Amino acid sequence: MMHCTMDDVLALAAGEGSAWARQHVAGCPACRAELEALYQRVAQLKALPVRRPARDRWPAVRNAVVAERRRRRERWGVSGLAAAAVLAGLLVFRPFWTKPVDAAELARVKEQSATLEQQLQRYDPNGRVTSGRSAALAAALEDRIAVIDGELAQLGPAQAQARPADLVTLWQQRVELMEQLVSVHVTRAAYVGL
Amino acid sequence: MTISLAVPDILVARAKSGDLEALEALYRAFETPVYNLALRVLRRPEDAEDVLQDTFLEVVRSIKQYRGEGHLWGWIRQIATSKALMRIRQDRVRETEELHEESAVGAGNVGGAGEMRGTEGMSPGAVPAQIDLERAFERLSETSRAVVWLHDVEGYTHEEIAEQMGKTVSFSKSQLARAHVRLRRMLDEGVAR
Repeated sequence: MMHCTMDDVLALAAGEGSAWARQHVAGCPACRAELEALYQRVAQLKALPVRRPARDRWPAVRNAVVAERRRRRERWGVSGLAAAAVLAGLLVFRPFWTKPVDAAELARVKEQSATLEQQLQRYDPNGRVTSGRSAALAAALEDRIAVIDGELAQLGPAQAQARPADLVTLWQQRVELMEQLVSVHVTRAAYVGL
Repeated sequence: MTISLAVPDILVARAKSGDLEALEALYRAFETPVYNLALRVLRRPEDAEDVLQDTFLEVVRSIKQYRGEGHLWGWIRQIATSKALMRIRQDRVRETEELHEESAVGAGNVGGAGEMRGTEGMSPGAVPAQIDLERAFERLSETSRAVVWLHDVEGYTHEEIAEQMGKTVSFSKSQLARAHVRLRRMLDEGVAR
């Protein structure tokens, strides 16, 4: 005599059993017992005691959150300083620049950088679910961007005038890192369907 | 599970604004169900605690994305499940566990699904005490435990489990069937005692 498989029994329990299985179980005490045993197992699994964590993990979560917020504030603080310094330099020294090609390139990479910043803000990476690996990669890129912002801030208007190529190079590097950062976040978002 | 998982909207709104006290209140409200789910799937308390921590780090980072559609517990549970399943995927050492489990249930197991059909005088036997079921459940592989717990206890559909695990619906169904065959066999043979 053919009996139900566990697949059949599970399908019956879910109300999706085949016509053969429904008919068979009505006349087969063994398979009816199997179905009843399944119901009991599931009920007992649901009734297993609730386990509680032995240690409080909130302090660790809180510390990580506070550290992340501090780091973000510092990064944006440095970025703001860098942007202000470069803007001041441009306003003061722009008329005296003698290399129009550098000025054009500088304007281009700065615009590119601003576009990428906007793209990143629209995506709002701080409010999204991300994997540990993506987060680590993003953090490394953010650190490198912060270093470049610091260098831009230190360059100052006088040196920027004397070495416009250095200024352009730094902005180009910034754009390159920003592109990678956007890619990390947006690729991840596309991958998980966010 | 009889824990109340209702959370006032005002608390969620405060948490979304980054209020640490509100975020801690959410943690207190959901730490037990998150830990319990992770422990049932992963079995080791230290792993479950890590999942608990990772889950709430993610909750804090992503709470602004929660639109209030569906119960907050459903949203947090999805993150917790994802973290627990990620840990299973990452921990290659545990692949050996499955081999241990296969040998524990005996050489006669030919893969669960077809083994009952065609057997005469099948006798499932009475379901033993709850403590035995708990032990038998713990002897399943992590993947089997995850599928059984998510489907039978948390109420996930096979489609949802397949999506979370990155597998097919038939994988989820066959894992569940195999797991129940093993549970029944262990309980009948007293392996868990």
